[in-house]
Amino acid sequence: MKRILKMHLIFIRQDLKKLMEYKVDFLLGAIGFLLTQAVQILCLGIIFSAIPALCYTLNGEVLDAWSFEEVLFIYGFSLIPKGIDHLLYDNLWGLGYWIVDKGDFDKYLTRPINSWIYILCEKFCVDAFGDLVVGVALIVYSLVSMSPETIAEINPLRIIPVVLVIPFAVMIFTSVKTGTAAISFWTKRSGHITHMCYMTNEFAKYPAKIYNTFVKTLITYILPFALTAYYPAIYLLRGESWWSIPVTVAVSLVLFGVSQLIWHRGLKAYESAGS
Amino acid sequence: MENIMIEVRDLRKEFRKAVKEPGLKGSVKALFKPVYNTVKAVDGISFTVPKGEIIGFIGPNGAGKSTVIKMLTGILTPTSGECRIDGKIPTKDRKKYVKEIGVVFGQRTQLWWDLALRETYMVLKEIYEIPDKEYEERMAFLNEVLELDDFITSPVRTLSLGQRMRADIAASLLHNPKVLFLDEPTIGLDVVVKDSIRKAIKKINAENGTTVILTTHDLEDIELLCERIVMIDKGKKVFDGDISELKRRFGQMRELHFELKNSADFEKLDYKGDFSFGEEDFTIELKGTIVDVRFNCDVVSVEEMLSYTLSRVHVKDINVKDADIEEIIRRLYLKGGEMLDAASENV
Repeated sequence: MKRILKMHLIFIRQDLKKLMEYKVDFLLGAIGFLLTQAVQILCLGIIFSAIPALCYTLNGEVLDAWSFEEVLFIYGFSLIPKGIDHLLYDNLWGLGYWIVDKGDFDKYLTRPINSWIYILCEKFCVDAFGDLVVGVALIVYSLVSMSPETIAEINPLRIIPVVLVIPFAVMIFTSVKTGTAAISFWTKRSGHITHMCYMTNEFAKYPAKIYNTFVKTLITYILPFALTAYYPAIYLLRGESWWSIPVTVAVSLVLFGVSQLIWHRGLKAYESAGS
Repeated sequence: MENIMIEVRDLRKEFRKAVKEPGLKGSVKALFKPVYNTVKAVDGISFTVPKGEIIGFIGPNGAGKSTVIKMLTGILTPTSGECRIDGKIPTKDRKKYVKEIGVVFGQRTQLWWDLALRETYMVLKEIYEIPDKEYEERMAFLNEVLELDDFITSPVRTLSLGQRMRADIAASLLHNPKVLFLDEPTIGLDVVVKDSIRKAIKKINAENGTTVILTTHDLEDIELLCERIVMIDKGKKVFDGDISELKRRFGQMRELHFELKNSADFEKLDYKGDFSFGEEDFTIELKGTIVDVRFNCDVVSVEEMLSYTLSRVHVKDINVKDADIEEIIRRLYLKGGEMLDAASENV
């Protein structure tokens, strides 16, 4: 464990150094990210300038409603686990896109260290600071601009379980990436599968209730990104769906197990590439 | 047996390959009704390597050399058969196993592209859990053998190919492995670097008793480094023995090289008509006024060939060359499977 941390630190230091070296690359990446986020938030703002709140209706009856600030909070919160996964475990993308296909995975197998941990340690993705900064900013902004009644609803004690659940939420992201990237051991390339599954997290930035049954089931149980964003966020704000906290922990552990199983099966099927 | 380091028995590796008809139509067809072909990359190879030996693995491209190496290093899982290195099975308990081996793939680096070389070794030190003192001693030794000092602070991406290869070899030896696998360690290098790498391999073998398995297309590597060679072709072992044996058995080819005074004279030479050479026993090539003849001296003696040639044409210059290892291997590659029987009868 200690040696893995030491190793990881060397790579982190290196990637931070690289950040200084390739300033333009980093700046362009960061600006691009900020623009994407700004456009999405602007859209939210425009929509909310026309309506008082986002409502969930059934047979014409309003069952639930979220204010602009609440939606912003959920949105901001969703960026935290996503950003942490992006920061620490970004290398998994390469696996499905080129590492296996080109036979570069060979080198991960010739070292006396778990190949999965090795590949995770190797990259520290500074671009993810964008997600984290925007996420924190949105959380702070939404809390500051919330109405006093909404603020009064928040029980500070609820912050503890929500903070504790974040690592498990990160694990949901990492496991989805691991499991889908490992498909490349059979198919040579699986980057697009990873991308497809990963992108469903975009749904999870908004209240899960507004979707139809299919999408709701998908993001709660199958690719459970709603557990990384909407559910913990709304629990924090309103104390609703307290069950989502233990469920997130359980689901993340199950997903982790499944993704490790796929990984280890995949290693046996790995065929390298001619040289 | 105690001093056996590597034991390979009836090793096989099959790949399933989708057969695709050409064109878009073929691709669409393959999508709905895939047809698979089983390719036998390694087809029942057995051999043993004693401790401390340097063994050369040769064979034409696509013969299965790299596949064997990848199975021995635990990267690929064999379809069937067994390999044991120092009593261990590579794919079982891979993490413990790879601590005892070093691997270099000449075609692709295992170092980190952006890390300075010194930091690269620091990472490896952590991965292999090498104690500080041992690490320093080892670095000093590798520095001396491979002359890393000039570029140890440079990032790997800025190294020349020769420097990178030396860095890669040092990286594979940092933990003092029992077996070193080198897959084409001299590919694309200039003569000077090749020479220094060969010397380093020799020295490491001599000082640490490291067993070395090396694949190469450079026959000088083989002649200078290996006591023994294993040749494989189409996934099968074609030859296994030492080099002098190979020369003795297949070394009957000679090369006659001469320059004609008058290139029209060439027509006067009809070796094929006047001697009874077999298909494999004779080749002739004319480049301007220079003639290259390769022939089997068991069929026609060198003396006969010389007197025949000199009696028919005027030459400016003539010489006869002995069979070199390269020539032997060229013949072996051409014959491929057929040689297997000839080779295995007496081995």
